[in-house]
Amino acid sequence: MKYVMSRLLYAILVLWIVGTILFFMFRLMPGSPLAAFIDQTTTLEQQQALIARFGLDKSLFQQYTIFLQNALQGDLGQSFFHRRPVTEVVMEALPNTVILTLSGLVVAYIFGVLAGAYLAWRRGSAVEGIGIPLALATRAAPEFWLGMVMLAFFSFHLGWFPAGGANSVGLEYDNEWRRIFTVDYLHHLILPVLTLAIYLQGLPLLLMRSNMIEILQEEFITMSKMKGLGSRTIVLNHAARNAMLPVATAFALGIGSAIGGNVVVETIFSWPGIGRLLVNAVSASDYPLAQGAFMIITAVLVAMNFVADMTYHLLDPRIRHAASN
Amino acid sequence: MLLSVKDLKIQYKTRKGIVHAVDGISFDVPEGKVVGIVGESGCGKTTAVRSLLRVMPPVASYAGGEINFDGSDILKLSEREMNKLRWRDIAYIPQSAMNALDPVWRVGDQIIEVLTKRGGFKKAKAKLRAEELFEMVGLEQKRLRDYPHQFSGGMRQRASIALALALSPRLAIADEPVTALDVIIQRQVLDTFSRLQREFGLSVVLVTHDISVVAYVCDYVVVMYAGKIVEKGPVKDVLSSPSHAYTIGLYNAFPELSADEERELSPIEGGPPQLLNPPEGCRFRDRCPFAQEICKQEPVEVQVGPEHFSLCHRAHEAAEMREKARDPAVWRGVVTA
Amino acid sequence: MPQAIEPMGPASTGRASAALLPHLTTVPRRTGPLPALALAGKAFWRVPRESHYAKVGLVIYLIFALTAIFADQLVNYEPLEILFADNYQLRRNLPPTADHWLGTSYSGRDIYSQLVMGTRSALAVGLTAAICVVAIGTLVGLIAGYFGGWIDNLLMRLADIALGIPFLPFVIVLASFMGAAQSNVVLGIALLLWPNSARVIRSQVMSLRERAFIEAARVTGAGKWRILFVHIAPNVLALSFLYTSVAVGWAILTEASVSFLGFGPSDTVSWGYMLQDAYASQALGRGQYNWFIPPGLCIVFVVMAGFFISRGYEEVLFPKLKG
Repeated sequence: MKYVMSRLLYAILVLWIVGTILFFMFRLMPGSPLAAFIDQTTTLEQQQALIARFGLDKSLFQQYTIFLQNALQGDLGQSFFHRRPVTEVVMEALPNTVILTLSGLVVAYIFGVLAGAYLAWRRGSAVEGIGIPLALATRAAPEFWLGMVMLAFFSFHLGWFPAGGANSVGLEYDNEWRRIFTVDYLHHLILPVLTLAIYLQGLPLLLMRSNMIEILQEEFITMSKMKGLGSRTIVLNHAARNAMLPVATAFALGIGSAIGGNVVVETIFSWPGIGRLLVNAVSASDYPLAQGAFMIITAVLVAMNFVADMTYHLLDPRIRHAASN
Repeated sequence: MLLSVKDLKIQYKTRKGIVHAVDGISFDVPEGKVVGIVGESGCGKTTAVRSLLRVMPPVASYAGGEINFDGSDILKLSEREMNKLRWRDIAYIPQSAMNALDPVWRVGDQIIEVLTKRGGFKKAKAKLRAEELFEMVGLEQKRLRDYPHQFSGGMRQRASIALALALSPRLAIADEPVTALDVIIQRQVLDTFSRLQREFGLSVVLVTHDISVVAYVCDYVVVMYAGKIVEKGPVKDVLSSPSHAYTIGLYNAFPELSADEERELSPIEGGPPQLLNPPEGCRFRDRCPFAQEICKQEPVEVQVGPEHFSLCHRAHEAAEMREKARDPAVWRGVVTA
Repeated sequence: MPQAIEPMGPASTGRASAALLPHLTTVPRRTGPLPALALAGKAFWRVPRESHYAKVGLVIYLIFALTAIFADQLVNYEPLEILFADNYQLRRNLPPTADHWLGTSYSGRDIYSQLVMGTRSALAVGLTAAICVVAIGTLVGLIAGYFGGWIDNLLMRLADIALGIPFLPFVIVLASFMGAAQSNVVLGIALLLWPNSARVIRSQVMSLRERAFIEAARVTGAGKWRILFVHIAPNVLALSFLYTSVAVGWAILTEASVSFLGFGPSDTVSWGYMLQDAYASQALGRGQYNWFIPPGLCIVFVVMAGFFISRGYEEVLFPKLKG
């Protein structure tokens, strides 16, 4: 328990430091944040009023403290572009990203783990000779390019799936949850998830295979054979169970990095998630929104790093007991 | 005769060629008796005994011989038939239980697994049987819920014994079961093991490199060197009248478990030969202080007692060799490096 | 996008085969960076003979490298030149013909020439970024692993922070605010991706540290820095090399993503730029596979080549001891 607390505090510390770095990065970047509001007609008075309104006349340090205070209360400022609180805009987009990322990861990992275990069991066969380069190829392909190919073929050519967005245009829903749990949403979800899954499965596949190969050479596997246990029992209940530990950790880490990396997939499929929000905000010089989206993504990343840390320590009984001693 | 091994040969395929790890060994294990197989590491004993369960690494293969268990040659059985024998008739006690037990499963669950999957036990009965087994080997029942790394070395070996006896096998193969433990614990575990062996009339093949363990628990002993059996017979006979130069050397190299004699240690210099291309004649030739010209020829098995055999050219001079061997100086400088 | 665990990287093993890296077992009489590099060079050439992966990877790299070097000779047109037919019609969206082997883009540019010229940008960014990342990572790993204590702690905390920053968003923000130059992409990569190699090298150094001390103490009263750079660093070079070849791949993928999102330079042709152009020009809807498949495939091959090389060299230099 003490260990968990100390790692948690550490994670919060990292989050705070990263947040600070980002804050200063955004503030110190060249380019005026007010470019969206100012044109030739804006008078000097109006400009100064704008500057005061956005707190840009205060010292950098003061801005920082205000930012911190607000952030801790959940207020991430106002979006220049949307003229709405950043928190609101971000929270609208967040569920879409979460659903996309989790679905993609789950599909990728289930496939990867099974395929990896299979390749390990069939070591030295032709399947392996093709399987590994193929897995490497999927890791070598840009996510967005995979998306492009999927779109071109399954959407434009075959017409099986819509070409983007999360919902068909023109449909109205009462609330967020209703919107998500529809067939229409699912229909829009499939191609992006597939794209993500194809890209992500390489890692669990290769990791699982590599772990399994090592584990299958361990003494306790030989013992299982001597006990006369069946292949399926040995591979699934013993070998895979041991080989899974690093994969579970990778899964947690995967959530963290995929959230940020999703940017491209969301853009290709016009998926209304945080990644796309960030890209648009940056393009439009919408500082508060860009910063807010960035912060949320960072928070998820740091949180997932922490979870991965915990997963590794809790799943392995050897380390669990060592930590508590 | 429960187990009768005849001229067993096992080969390893390596990048450099074929290694003749076990080169024609024959020995018997009567019902209810403990047969010790003793030899240096690399002499082939572990390969030989693991092959009794027909579980071998992919690079190993049988190159001849028979393994007769209860009358039938298990080398001729199909995989399915062989699997029926595993653990139910022939069980295995590993050297290092730390590596031999699944680290993420509770120890009790691993025993229950064998009981339910191979013994036809129902879950509840299996639990009871597991508790029974732990009690037999002197372990607390609450330990069933622990993981392997939470056990001490001695406890782990006891758990291995419990696991091996789970399905009441007729033959147990113990591969260096106490080597990794310290001397006092060794004795305790061996005592427990002996007691159970006698109680259940278990036949045992016990592999070790420590001849004092053989003296402590075995009825018969088989001495292996470089893939061959150089001497075999009842423990009493072999230890009181070792009739092969190697056995004589071994005896001098180890302190005795049961006796309190002060014996000077004189290890045998050098190492065993390569088994890629085994040397001609007696394989112990290069390290033997008693080697002669005749030793360059392939030795023949000689009977030196009622059930006692030796593969030494000079077996008939054993008494002389034993006398000379008491002087540690005889063993020094044999190997000119 | 690059994750904290390299699937095929040297993270899992770290024990070098003594036969190929004799520094681990003996101290050569003539110590110094030159003999060490000579040994490394010999090992470098020995591996491809023993590994298919390394062979294939090196060949692919060679092809791309040659293409990049001789790009000027290999292109048929200027990559960014807008082309017109004899009748002053824009050569828009032409399918592959004898004149235009891969057809033309929406703005009338020759796709094949863009593809060829894109090699330069890919390799330039890839190699530069990879070298920067691994240089930083190796240095940090060496220092943290060797000196330990508060230096180690500090560097590892820095690593945690670098790992806590979302990678692609950061590079995007950097590129957008500091200008869409490829150097900014390289900067972003270098700032955030060094922890992976640093950690692995650090643990290798920590395990080498004990041995090197003993050896060096026996030979001369060698100073700390000398031991670090003369004895330990060369042994770590192999790992650095493995990471470099994988990092080139990550860098190229990152650059492609950044270009695709529109934050890359528009005056140089890169594969990412081509893909962005294709996407924005509705090439997907028009089924212009000749436009958007080749650049993607090129990326796949180059990145894969890096993976292959890393895998091949790891197989030979750091064999998993069992089986």
